[in-house]
Amino acid sequence: MSAPQSVPRVRAYRRPANWPARLRLSLLTAGLLVFTSLVIIPFVWMILMSLRTTGEILSNPYGLPQAPRWENYVRLFFDPGIRFYRYFYNSLFVTFFALCLVGALATLAGYGFGRPRYNFRFRGWLFALLLFGLILPPQIMYIPQFTLMARYGLLNSRWALVLLYAALGLPVSTYLMATYFSQLPAELEDAARIDGCTDLRMFWQIMLPLARPALATVLLVNSLSFWNELLLSVTMVNNPELRTLPAAMFNFVGENAADYAMGATSLVAAMLPLLILYLILSERFIEGMTAGALKG
Amino acid sequence: MTTTPTAAPRALPAARRAGMRRPWAATALFIGPAVLYFGFFTIYPLLSSFYYAFHTIAPAGGRLVTTYVGLDNFKALLADPIFFLAVRNSLTWGVVGPAIELVTAATLAFLIYYRVPLHRFYRVAWFTPILVSGVIIGLVFRWIFNYDWGLVNAGLRAVGLDNLALNWLGRRDTPLGVVIFVHYWATFGFTFVLLLAGLSAIPGELEEAAQIDGASRWRVIWHVLLPLLRPTIVTALILSFIGKMNAFNVVWALTNGGPLHFSETVATYIQKRAFGWTTFDLGYPSAMAVAWFGVVVIGIGLINRRLRSRVEY
Repeated sequence: MSAPQSVPRVRAYRRPANWPARLRLSLLTAGLLVFTSLVIIPFVWMILMSLRTTGEILSNPYGLPQAPRWENYVRLFFDPGIRFYRYFYNSLFVTFFALCLVGALATLAGYGFGRPRYNFRFRGWLFALLLFGLILPPQIMYIPQFTLMARYGLLNSRWALVLLYAALGLPVSTYLMATYFSQLPAELEDAARIDGCTDLRMFWQIMLPLARPALATVLLVNSLSFWNELLLSVTMVNNPELRTLPAAMFNFVGENAADYAMGATSLVAAMLPLLILYLILSERFIEGMTAGALKG
Repeated sequence: MTTTPTAAPRALPAARRAGMRRPWAATALFIGPAVLYFGFFTIYPLLSSFYYAFHTIAPAGGRLVTTYVGLDNFKALLADPIFFLAVRNSLTWGVVGPAIELVTAATLAFLIYYRVPLHRFYRVAWFTPILVSGVIIGLVFRWIFNYDWGLVNAGLRAVGLDNLALNWLGRRDTPLGVVIFVHYWATFGFTFVLLLAGLSAIPGELEEAAQIDGASRWRVIWHVLLPLLRPTIVTALILSFIGKMNAFNVVWALTNGGPLHFSETVATYIQKRAFGWTTFDLGYPSAMAVAWFGVVVIGIGLINRRLRSRVEY
């Protein structure tokens, strides 16, 4: 992507020569470490709590686990009274199918909007309309979306969320794909066309394989928002069996939940998949989200 | 930043040069599905909201009945004290939140730009909260601000500041502040990364030239980098503002607008009036959403007008 690289160019960083400069740098580092610990401590606290019993937590909320209780996670997922795997499954289902849908729509549209060959009179206008979707608050759409789903009998179904999440992610995804496609050289097309290649084969066999990195970014950025979405999830789905993870969290933490260990375990379990993905792909996440936002 | 595909060169398409006709079928195949999808699931509901705003939509006899009421919804809005409280809270947040976020994120971005020790670690760590659902963050911070055993009060008591250990989420004056803080915690990393990317995109020669002319680091930041960063700052400010205006997850999980609407925002109040309360009417909350959409658009316009520099580099 031509997105600005998020790692600054090599900038000569010199070790401070004299001791006042060294002292300043140490103080700055100390300050930054304290600030960073404010970001990290809530995560560490949650993970520690998830490995203890509620009894331990109640006697001292800040102790270390006496013996790490990994069985908390087993209980969370498979205890017949909790069956957390249902919510996990629902979230996976909704995220997966919404990603397939938005990936397909955005790749096609990105190709159509990005290549000069498919230009027509109102294309720029249509593209601007699509980008307008980036600033639309969900509140201005979701009440009619609710009645729309009600009309087609899709309330209380995972497919309602699949359809609406795909609509949610479509503007930014199309934008990212179109930007990418518009940067591929025109010679590719010319050469293939001389060989008698049709538009569809052109797209499928030449352009699509080239667009894989952009598609990966699109899927990554969208998986984040789909996995974490709450407003549409609580609005469209009432049935406890079909709740996605964010909506189900309230079963475990809040006014009517006193089992702190299970609460912490559920919170950690819900955020873990994305955190693990982030540990592996942190640069791609950061760059993808920046590219989606910096449309200038 | 990047060139928008709409600004693609006006030259004749390759098809023309090759003596072929316009590929209408292919164009429709590529663009059509997304446009229809967007129209049906986004634009149509958007326009419906405006239609709903002038109606009462309530269940009667097992189905939704729509009755035209003119401007009644908007008149009721002006007489709704909770709506005014929510607007005041949201606007306070929309001014205070982005301001704090921009100032701190810019400071951090410059520090990382100048490669303080451990800069890679900081960058990855600060971005982490972006990955976590606002629900989880809200619920975790509900514990952290717990009166009896929360992290904040435990810390304050440990250093002997017992009288500062407030019931943060149960008073009338602190919950909004807590909401603003927690949302800041959740999103500053994104603003920081945006500004850092903007800084990194500035050509290094300009900075080097200033340094050769003998400018100090502060003067370089103030007179060279900040003016060049301006478009990114405006983008970040607008995104931050929109984020605060639409924020739902964090508030819903942290305070649910409470106690007694003292941390109610327009987003949570719309949800309550539409689906939470027993006053099941979809017209009134739609009117609220329409009015609020107007406010957000005006806010974005103001930021754009006042801050977008007219000078191009």
